[in-house]
Amino acid sequence: MMSHSSSCQSSKLPNVVKQVILDEATISQTVERLAHQIQQDYQGLDLLLIGVLQGARPFCMDLQRAIGPSSKLDWIGISRYRHLSGSRKVEIVRNTRTSLKDRHVLLVEDIVDTGLTLNYLIQELKKRKPASIYVCTLLDRPRLRLAQIPVRYVGKDVSEDFLIGYGLDYRDRYRDLPYIATMNFESLSIGGGEEQVRDQQSGNESYEQNPAHR
Amino acid sequence: MLGSDRVTTISFAHESEEEFARFLDFYQIAWEYEPISFPLAWDESGNVTESFTPDFYLPEFELFVELTTMKQSLVTRKNRKIRRMRELYPEYNVKILYRKDYHKLLFKFGKL
Repeated sequence: MMSHSSSCQSSKLPNVVKQVILDEATISQTVERLAHQIQQDYQGLDLLLIGVLQGARPFCMDLQRAIGPSSKLDWIGISRYRHLSGSRKVEIVRNTRTSLKDRHVLLVEDIVDTGLTLNYLIQELKKRKPASIYVCTLLDRPRLRLAQIPVRYVGKDVSEDFLIGYGLDYRDRYRDLPYIATMNFESLSIGGGEEQVRDQQSGNESYEQNPAHR
Repeated sequence: MLGSDRVTTISFAHESEEEFARFLDFYQIAWEYEPISFPLAWDESGNVTESFTPDFYLPEFELFVELTTMKQSLVTRKNRKIRRMRELYPEYNVKILYRKDYHKLLFKFGKL
């Protein structure tokens, strides 16, 4: 797959963007490629796409559009681990509204790293007796994987840089960027503030997605 | 005993290990802390002279996890031990999470 890069020095890009790693055209090509594979594999089968909220929303909608009307779409949301706060155990906070029984389920994620979120979801959804259950992710970080999960479709392997855009957020911002980019944390330090402190604490460029905000 | 309660009963060597245990508990992943030491070297009499004790074992994934939150200079020694473990015990899976990886996880979940 061809990869396009742009510098944050371009006047067309906001300061928060360090480097575009997937531009709109590449995202579109990637979605088309994945949709084609999925069409081939699920031909004649009752396919249900389940997007994991919030980050996978744009990818999942584009993917279903590319697959066509043979697939159905639903959503699921789960709680995220928060240090010293939040619930003590992972739980589904937004459930699917479609029966999964005897259907071929494809969980759609924006990015997979440890795989623990999907591991939990797969175990829960298997209780509803789907005919099959696999995972499609736009982005993958296999080096951080702990749980062995059935990731069947991958758009692109990515490094551990913090990414924003196309559903990926930093504190609920930048989801609406039409491309995926590494984040320029230095841009947040202008004028100081909490972001600057966080940036300094963790060595500047070593952050990962914050799906708690997806 | 609930997972979070279990965390408080164990003396972890490092705060990051305790945080990782809480992280696993949240996702309902069973874990064991330093359950086994793997001998890596022996003297002429057969006595163990070097061993490696991974921080965690995740039975569900049949995976050992080692957290390295130390300085890079000390990580090299640990990397050598893990390479040796893989040579001697290829039937076991071990994953190393480096300081940088671990900072990402902590940032991701609001610790930093």
